[in-house]
Amino acid sequence: MTQLYMLDVPENTPIVDVADQDPHVTVDKVGPYFRIAADTPIVINRHATGCRQAVWYSSVAGLVQSRVTQWDKDAMRIEPT
Amino acid sequence: MSQLAHTVRGVDHVAFPTFDPAGTVAFYRDVLGFPVAHSICAAGWGPEKHPDFIHFFFDIGNNDRLAFFYYFGYKPPQRGVKGDVYARFDDDIPDFFVKSRHLAIHVDSEADLTEYRRRLDNSQWPVELQVQHETIESIYTHDPNGYFVEITRALRPVTPQEDLDANLTVDALVDVVKGPDVSMAALLTRKAELIIERAADWEAAQR
Amino acid sequence: MALHRIGLIVPSSNITVETELPALLHRHPSADFSFHSTRMRMHTVSAAQLASMNAQRERCTMEIADASPDVILYACLVAVMVGGPGEHRRVEGAIAEQLAAGGSAAKIRSSAGALVQALRAIDADRIALVTPYMRPLAAQVVGYLESEEFELADWRALEVADNAEVGCIPGERVLEAARSLDLTGVDALVISACVQMPSLDLIDPAEEEFGIPVLSAATAGAYSILRSLTLPVAIPGAGSLLRADTVPAAA
Repeated sequence: MTQLYMLDVPENTPIVDVADQDPHVTVDKVGPYFRIAADTPIVINRHATGCRQAVWYSSVAGLVQSRVTQWDKDAMRIEPT
Repeated sequence: MSQLAHTVRGVDHVAFPTFDPAGTVAFYRDVLGFPVAHSICAAGWGPEKHPDFIHFFFDIGNNDRLAFFYYFGYKPPQRGVKGDVYARFDDDIPDFFVKSRHLAIHVDSEADLTEYRRRLDNSQWPVELQVQHETIESIYTHDPNGYFVEITRALRPVTPQEDLDANLTVDALVDVVKGPDVSMAALLTRKAELIIERAADWEAAQR
Repeated sequence: MALHRIGLIVPSSNITVETELPALLHRHPSADFSFHSTRMRMHTVSAAQLASMNAQRERCTMEIADASPDVILYACLVAVMVGGPGEHRRVEGAIAEQLAAGGSAAKIRSSAGALVQALRAIDADRIALVTPYMRPLAAQVVGYLESEEFELADWRALEVADNAEVGCIPGERVLEAARSLDLTGVDALVISACVQMPSLDLIDPAEEEFGIPVLSAATAGAYSILRSLTLPVAIPGAGSLLRADTVPAAA
């Protein structure tokens, strides 16, 4: 299972929204954090989010038994460890 | 979280040496318009003899002050090939590290940032870099001493959840550096544990 | 005997501080003193000259601190008081900051501050003064002491403008002025509220005559120096203030 957390602040919501478009991904809240989970790897396309680099590269707040295997200007890919 | 009373009141002064007091005054007082707030003329009377010196201070807003020491007749040999007059580095030290230490001064509005940009651009020390992202906008330059200076504005106020997040990051970092795997991945994993432990209760406490 | 180095910052035309302070402190039963001074240019006790004198303070502090004194007395009274209420604290603070910034261990006191300290040490609330100044300047000294919550019962201004002349005012004239004061209910008499007007030999006789404690800027300065060095205040022949710690001889 792939699971990550993102803080609920205005800059991150476009990223969460793009992640949520994938039917395999579920998004719910733990306190002020979005919990983003799936049974498969999660891929988020940066261009679809429209967000800038500084926010993109600091958007992940936590990982649960997962790792980020791609994190560049095009996309973020999170897989289970 | 800390139960200690928090009664400190910001930066009384942050001090740096200079070998160019005229340039330093030109930059901070004349270009940026920071008033000269204070000065002390003294000699080295303590156990370690040192030269006569002037310690002078600029007001950087909020009653905070930026101070410089100018020592008469003293200039150490400048080692290394990069850095500022205080910290010098050889070529093998990467720029990200050399630039890590810097002073960032806050302004409230876009108009203020634009005005300070204008002042710098009309001087010998124009803005070298302007960065904006969703939460902040900053301009950067080096002062006559090579000190890296940033002027920045927040594009939105900090939210309470960001304070929580900052505290979780710091707690996770302190835990991770004590452990076997000191890495960003380890930090994000530890932080997730802390989120699970604390975030829901935090939110409930906010109501 | 332990030697204590006393730094003095004096107005340039002043001769009394460097005469009376050593005379007083050399009477100390258990401590030795050496005196080292630096000068601030001043001839006329006018507001303009006093202001320019204060500007020399930084230079004087630099010079005297080089001698590593144990305590520095900023021996100005009216020059400080014209700066307005609380000025002695500001001046002492600025000098202390300058000393501290350079790592000097010297303590700083001022004659103006010493006068206030000495009057408080003897619990004097209602006081009288003799000053050599022109009336407007004397009134500023009175106002300063009132801002320190002393009640000024009566005061005299001998109106001698030239500082060199002030240093030569005969004791008889000072005593005459003191006798003309209404000392009803007065707790203490400041027989010379000036660091230049000599008064050392007048103090004990005046205490005898008026029956109340008598001090001068000089005796207050000596008191403050001794307290700053935690030395016993036991100086004979210069008034009760300086005998505070004197153990009476067994009968």
